[in-house]
Amino acid sequence: MKRFLLMVLFAVLSIMLVGCSDSTGPKKTDGTDQETPVVDKPAEEVELLISAAASLTDALEDLKATYEEEHEGVKLTYNFGSSGKLATNIENGAPSDVFLSASSKDMNDMEEKGLIRDGTRKDFTSNVLVLIAHKDSNSTIDSFKAIDPEKVDHFAVGEPESVPVGRYTKETFENLNLWEPLQNKLVMGSDVRQVLTHVEMGNADLGIVYSSDAFVSDDVKVLAESNPEWHAPIVYPGAVVEASKHREAAQNFLDYLTSDAGKEVLQKFGFK
Amino acid sequence: MDYSPLLLSLKVAAISTFFVFLAGVFIAYLLAKRDFFGKSILEALFLLPLVLPPTVVGFGLLILFGKKGWIGSWLVEWFDFQIVFTWIGAVIASIVVSFPLMYQSAAAAFESLDERLSNAARTMGASEWRVFWSVVFPLAWPGLLAGLVLSFARGLGEFGATLMLAGYIPGKTDTIPMAIYFAVESGQMEKATFWVVIIIVFGFSLILWVNWWSKRNIRRFTRS
Amino acid sequence: MGQLVEQTQYPPIHAILTVVGINMLNVQIHKQLAHYEMKISFEMAHEILVLVGPSGSGKTTILHMVAGLIHPDCGMITSKKRIFFETNEKPMPARERQIGYLFQDYALFPHMTVEKNIWYGVKKAQRNESREMITQLLQVLGIEHLLQKYPHQVSGGEKQRVGLARALAARPSVLLLDEPLSALDKETRQQCQNELLRLHDIWKIPFIIVTHDLDEAERLGDRIIYLDQGTIADEKWKKQLTYH
Repeated sequence: MKRFLLMVLFAVLSIMLVGCSDSTGPKKTDGTDQETPVVDKPAEEVELLISAAASLTDALEDLKATYEEEHEGVKLTYNFGSSGKLATNIENGAPSDVFLSASSKDMNDMEEKGLIRDGTRKDFTSNVLVLIAHKDSNSTIDSFKAIDPEKVDHFAVGEPESVPVGRYTKETFENLNLWEPLQNKLVMGSDVRQVLTHVEMGNADLGIVYSSDAFVSDDVKVLAESNPEWHAPIVYPGAVVEASKHREAAQNFLDYLTSDAGKEVLQKFGFK
Repeated sequence: MDYSPLLLSLKVAAISTFFVFLAGVFIAYLLAKRDFFGKSILEALFLLPLVLPPTVVGFGLLILFGKKGWIGSWLVEWFDFQIVFTWIGAVIASIVVSFPLMYQSAAAAFESLDERLSNAARTMGASEWRVFWSVVFPLAWPGLLAGLVLSFARGLGEFGATLMLAGYIPGKTDTIPMAIYFAVESGQMEKATFWVVIIIVFGFSLILWVNWWSKRNIRRFTRS
Repeated sequence: MGQLVEQTQYPPIHAILTVVGINMLNVQIHKQLAHYEMKISFEMAHEILVLVGPSGSGKTTILHMVAGLIHPDCGMITSKKRIFFETNEKPMPARERQIGYLFQDYALFPHMTVEKNIWYGVKKAQRNESREMITQLLQVLGIEHLLQKYPHQVSGGEKQRVGLARALAARPSVLLLDEPLSALDKETRQQCQNELLRLHDIWKIPFIIVTHDLDEAERLGDRIIYLDQGTIADEKWKKQLTYH
C-alpha cells in the first residue's frame, strides 16, 4: 500500500518535472484493429506524417519543398522530438506513417513490439561525434587523443545514461582513458542542444556533439572527428509504421532518403 | 546512496532565500504606497520570471552571467570569479525564479497595512528605521513569512534555469531536482523515487508548518 | 459652555496674547489638491479649534500638514517659534515636531499591549521623569486597569482614551484629533467630550479637532472654522474665552 502511494506521488511529480513525457509503462496498442488495408489513391492528396528525431530538423525541412514538387499529391508533415518520446507516442496510437529514429535502441524496441512494418527498416544515414570549441577559441587540439584533462575547465557532454550522444561520448572517452580523469569537469546536458549551447556561449571550453549539430551552428568550430571504432555505430534507422494508411507513399519517402538526391541533402547538413 | 544532492539543495535554497528575503522586503517596502510613472512596468518586470519558461530564464541568465556574458565576463576579468557551472550559479538561478514570489507576498503584506499606524509612530518621534522594525515588520510578518517559505520551496524545486546556469556536474552542482530528472530519464526509478519522497516530505511539512503558524499568529493580532 | 457668536475679528484677548507671544501655532498653507486649491491661514493660542466641513473639504489634510505627514506647496507653519515648514526650505520631519495626533479609529498598534502603546513615544532619557505624569494621565482617563491588554481586547471608548493617553504621553506642544468621537455610541461620546475639555484645561496646549458633527463642534470649540473646498468659509468665536 505504502509503495503504491509512493508510486502515485512519484508519477504526479515526474510528470510535473519531466514535462509532458507520457507514461512509459507498456501499453499495447490496437494496431491490429486499424489494419484495414487502405489502397492509396494517387489522385487524392496524401498527407504523410513523419515522426523524426530532432537532429534531423534542418535537413528534412530543407528537402520538403523539393520532395513535394517531385511527388505530386504528397504533402509532408513533420513531428520532431526525441526518438524515445516519438516511439512512445506511436506506441500509444499517435498517427504516424514514417518513423525516423536517431538510435537503434528505440527502433529495436519498436520492431520487437511489432509497431513497424517488417522488411521496411533501413539505416538511412549516420553521424559521427565531433570535438568542438567556441569559434574564437585558440585551442590547438586537433584530435580526441590530444585532449589534456589538466587544461580543461569545463567539458560539455550529453548525460550518458539518458542522452544518446552522451552514451557514445562515454564509450569514446572510456576507450581513450579520458572518462575518469575528466570526471568532475564534465558538464552534462539534458540533450545535445544544451551541450551545443554551453560551447556556443563560451561557458564550456570543449564539447562533444554530432557532426550534424556542429554543422548548423555558426558559433562553434570543429576541432576533430571521432574514430568510428571508439563507439557503437551512430546510425539513423528509419521504417514504415505498421499502422500507416499510406504505406506505399511512406516507403517511397524512405527510399528517397537513401537515394543520391536524399543523401546529398543529408550530407549538406553534416550527416554522413 | 549519495546524499550530496540533499545538502546542496538545502544550501542553495537557504542562501538564495536569504538574499531574496532581504531584496524582496526592501524593494517591496520602497515601492509600497508610492506611485510613480513606470511602477507597473517595473513590477511586471519583477514578476516576469514567474511567466517565462525556466529554460528562457536560464538562457537569459547565461547571457548575463556566462563567461562571455555582460556581467560574467566582467567578473572573470576583474575577480577571476566564475558563476556559470558552479553552485553559486544555482543560487543565482534560484534567486531569480523565487524573487517574484517574495516580492509579491511582501508587496501585498505592506499594501494591506494601515498607513495610519506608521504615521502614528512618526508623530510620536520614531525614525523611519524604528517605524519599520517596531510597527511595519511585525505586522507584515505573517505575509513576509509566507513569501519566505514559498521562496525557499521554489528554490528547493528549481530545475530548468539551474540546469542551464549551474550545469549538471555530478558531485558539484547536482541538486535534488536534477538528480530526479536524470534518474527518471535513465530509468533509475528507485533512485528517482527516493529523491521524490525526500523533496515531497520537505516541501509538504514546510508549507504545513507555515499555514499552522500563520493561522495561530494572525488570530493574535486581529481585532475582534 | 458659552454661546457662540459670529465674529470675523479676533477677540481682544487673542490680540493681546499674540503680542505677548503666547500665540502657539501659526498656519499658512497653500497646496494644489486633486479637485481644488487649498488656501488656509489661521493662528491660535492654547484654545480648542474645531475644523468642520463636509467630507473632502480638506480637514484631515490640514492636520496632516501640521503633523508633517504631507507638506504644503508653499506657506509657513510655526509652533512656538519653531519652524515646521517654510517655502523652499526642507520641512521639519514629523518625528521632530512634537505633535500629539489622535488618528481616526485611533490607530493603536495591534501587536502591542496598551502599556507599550502609551510608552511608544516616550524617549528613553525621559522615561523616569515621565512616569509620574503618565500615571496621572492614566488615572484621569481611568485606564490603569487596561495596561496589560491588547487593543482588540478593550472597548471603543477605552480605545479612544488609550489613544489620547498615547498622544499626550510624549508631551506634545500641539494635539491634533481626527474625528475623535465618531466611533463611539452617544452616551460614551458625551462622557468623552467632557473628558476632552478637562484634559485641555490641564494641558493648556492648542487642540485642533476635526469633526463633521456641528453639535459636537459647538460643544467643544472655543473657535470653529468652517471649511469648504479647501478654504475657510466661515469662522466663529465663543463669546467668552478663558485663559488660565
